[in-house]
Amino acid sequence: MKKQQESSSQHKQQPPRWADKLLEWFVAPHLLEYVQGDLHEDFYNQVSKVGLNKARRAYIWAVVHCLTPFFIKRKKTEYSYSYNKQSHKSPLFTHMLSSYFTIAFRNLWRHKAFTAINIVGLALGLAVCLLIVLFVSHESSYDSYHIGSDRMYRMTMNFRMDGKDMNFAYVSEPAGPALLREYPGVEAITLLRDDSDMLVKNGNSIFKEENIAFVDSNFFSFFALPMLKGNVTNVLTEPRTLVITKTTARKYFGDADAIGKTLEMGNLGLFRVTGVCEDVPSNTHFHYDMFGSVKSVNRGTKWLASGAHTYVRLRSGYSVQQLVAQSEKLVSKYASAEIKEFFGTSFSEFQQKGNRMGFSFQPITDIHLHSNLEDELEANSDVKYIYIFSAIAVFILLLACINFMNLSTAGSAGRSKEVGIRKVLGSVQSQLVSQFLIESVLLTFLALILALGFVVLLLPSFNDLTGKYFTLSAIFNWQLLLAAMGACLIIGLLAGSYPAFVLSSFKPIAVLKGKLQANLRSGWLRNSLVTGQFVVSIGIIIATIVAKQQLHFIQNKKVGFDKEQVLVLHDTQVLGDKLNAFKTELSGLSSVVKVSLAGFLPAGTSRESVDGIQFRDGARTGTHRNKSYFIDEDYLPTLGIRLAQGRNFVKSSSESSSVLINESAAKVYGFKNPIGQQISTIGDGSEGSKRTYTVVGVVKDFHFENMHQSIAPLVMFYGGDNTQLALRIQANDLPVLLNSIEKLWKAETDNPFAYSFLNERFNTIYQSEQRIGELFSVFAGLAIIIACLGLFGLAAFTTHQRTKEVGVRKVLGASVGSIVTLLLTNYLKLILLAIVIASPIAGYTMNQWLKDFAYKVDLSWWVFALAGVVAIFVAILTVSYQAIKAALVNPVKSLRSE
Amino acid sequence: MRKTILGELEELVLLIVASSTEEVYGVPVMEELQQQTGRDFTISAVHTTLYRLEEKGFLSSSVGGATAERGGRRKRLFALTAAGGKALLEIQEMRNRLWQSIPQNKLQLLIPNQSIEK
Repeated sequence: MKKQQESSSQHKQQPPRWADKLLEWFVAPHLLEYVQGDLHEDFYNQVSKVGLNKARRAYIWAVVHCLTPFFIKRKKTEYSYSYNKQSHKSPLFTHMLSSYFTIAFRNLWRHKAFTAINIVGLALGLAVCLLIVLFVSHESSYDSYHIGSDRMYRMTMNFRMDGKDMNFAYVSEPAGPALLREYPGVEAITLLRDDSDMLVKNGNSIFKEENIAFVDSNFFSFFALPMLKGNVTNVLTEPRTLVITKTTARKYFGDADAIGKTLEMGNLGLFRVTGVCEDVPSNTHFHYDMFGSVKSVNRGTKWLASGAHTYVRLRSGYSVQQLVAQSEKLVSKYASAEIKEFFGTSFSEFQQKGNRMGFSFQPITDIHLHSNLEDELEANSDVKYIYIFSAIAVFILLLACINFMNLSTAGSAGRSKEVGIRKVLGSVQSQLVSQFLIESVLLTFLALILALGFVVLLLPSFNDLTGKYFTLSAIFNWQLLLAAMGACLIIGLLAGSYPAFVLSSFKPIAVLKGKLQANLRSGWLRNSLVTGQFVVSIGIIIATIVAKQQLHFIQNKKVGFDKEQVLVLHDTQVLGDKLNAFKTELSGLSSVVKVSLAGFLPAGTSRESVDGIQFRDGARTGTHRNKSYFIDEDYLPTLGIRLAQGRNFVKSSSESSSVLINESAAKVYGFKNPIGQQISTIGDGSEGSKRTYTVVGVVKDFHFENMHQSIAPLVMFYGGDNTQLALRIQANDLPVLLNSIEKLWKAETDNPFAYSFLNERFNTIYQSEQRIGELFSVFAGLAIIIACLGLFGLAAFTTHQRTKEVGVRKVLGASVGSIVTLLLTNYLKLILLAIVIASPIAGYTMNQWLKDFAYKVDLSWWVFALAGVVAIFVAILTVSYQAIKAALVNPVKSLRSE
Repeated sequence: MRKTILGELEELVLLIVASSTEEVYGVPVMEELQQQTGRDFTISAVHTTLYRLEEKGFLSSSVGGATAERGGRRKRLFALTAAGGKALLEIQEMRNRLWQSIPQNKLQLLIPNQSIEK
């Protein structure tokens, strides 16, 4: 029985094929037959003794043992035992390996400066590339770690009212549950309400918490946020329960168990901690420290006047298109009645006017890079920046590679004689090719090692620049290193291929006569590579100048309010009734000019309010949705906002039915004579919540949103918001003033004293633009350095080759100046060509970038001229050193050379 | 004349080749080695030793018949050369001299535990 089985599965009883292949590959041919025969014989003996598996394992073991120099070493006197036909032709690649390496090292060592320039240039490029790969892969990994993230969507809401589109990151609170109820394709939904900052109290310690969310009880099972303590399924089922992150737990309770402890959350009362979760991973589109149960806050029930961030997970097999169709039914089913209630028109009329209300769904993994809606949970990144970064990485690497190729080619030109001698002595072409390829691959690997060193050095500043926290372990992971090594191998092979194949194909006689050197010296390839390099560098310089210009422009454009010398105190609502007294005390200080309630501010943390506004101008009526401010009578003078018409609010109770609008509101509403016009707010749609106001003044337009948007209509009601105080100050000694304000504050409350300056808050709005500007300047610098390294090496080489020519010219009477010009003109021509190519490309790209801004600078010709001049200047500086050196040499010496 | 030194494994392999009645190749040598010493040897170790002994002139080799289980590969058969035999004899003589130089009283101590002949 067993015998039969054995014979039927004869083919399976062979030793592992790969092991055999390995053996055949490395064991010298003259030994192979006998060793392999013995191994096989022993294998079959073992099979019958200990079974197939053990025998196979033993076979592999035995093969591995053959990996010794004894077996690998090929026989010196060929042909006698040779079994492998290959060995008749030429020595194997592996025979020559050590020779290749020796020669390569000797060569690199002989041209130390040249090698150093080459390696440093490539290493810089590689280092930048590695860092950018790190950044890009982190940015594109957002939210992909959730289980079933490909089926997870965020529901968003879009309105079109009076031709203005508004897209919100949240949806009506009842929308999510309705979708779950009515559409079987939805597996689960979860809601998140992002409320404003809160002062959280634990005993005597009070902290201001900015990252608080109120979430559904299934939040932690919906997203993959691991719960460290507490039961995932029921942590947030009750009102006034709280889940906090590990770090927050340590902040409030130290090492003690947080479960069951209570925290006082602003004015919402005491919350019991029921769970501690892992900190939210950095690649998530939200980062909260505290999650309260959504039942602790008032739930909105209106479709048009409530909002919660709603996430949907589909069952597999259902498409998002079906979901969209389904959500459209929801609007007509539930929201149409409310539309009538709010706007006084039926749903069909509403639609006929071109208005729209709808829902859409964005894949959760797209939020970070592709979403820019109103009320995002966090400022998202933009896929544009990923493209810019990747393009820069590619360009810098391209620069470095061109450099590398260029220098390798130039360097090998001087070795044509070596090639000739080698050929005469019997080298075959394949050996020469291997020699050159190994040299360049060796160089790239040395560069990679250096690049890793650079990365280690640069990582802290890179983290600063990008606002991320990469650790060294992120770089030294095997995937990245393997990819980097693969890339190096390819670069090395590509860069080495030109010298390898061109040089090795030369006829030895011609080479030894020195005929071919001239050819190599004016290689079109090298010229076009240098041009390409400068196209990239000049392009990046142009981009840098434009980005800086735009940044300077938006930061210094007249914003319509005076952002200098305004101090903002935070969280002043904690003073409660004492606020007015505090305000009076402050205005008593000598260096405080004016104090105002300023919950609404045009820069930095601010209250947000959007109102539906109806106006009537004669027979004409219209409805708009606008941002609105609540301010007091001191607001305009404190912020330095000027009036165009009418008057400011005065301190009087009758002002509650007065309103200020900005110039664009007057324009949009079509008021020819705005003073005295009536507008009314829609409120939550009910008749009772509608209120009518009279316009008493028009303020000059000021930028209450960032410069990406043009100034929109704004309505300012009388009231003031007590969450912040704005102080117009005139202080020569700021610390003294701050100190006295803090003393006054401490006298009233034990809450933390926090403040900021309006101009600083204003500048942080443009952080991402600033970051781009900085990045561009860093990369422009790098690009120039790399290009110059290349140019320097190249110039050194070509001038060296022209030593004799220069000598002859000098003997015949050429001046130093004319020789320098001669050596320079070639490069200048290339750079001029590069300017011509780079300018339109960079101009077009930067124009696209500028399109994102409502207020922008014009591209002027001098930007291109400046970039060109910079490039030419740097290039002349680099080359002229070599040129002058060559020109000054005594012709006797240069003619004697060789 | 340069004295060739034989390692332990080399000596054992040489003895095994000497003791076999006909020409031997890798596998039987390995099996015999394992049987005699109780230790595991790999083919590679045996081959390395055999070739080294051939290089030293103690063995001679020829190419022998192929069998099916070797996949049609031929064997390298080894036989003892005169030099090999001489080397073995020299070693034995050297050992004997050493044994004889052991004082009688110490020899007594050794006998109960180990047999001297082996």
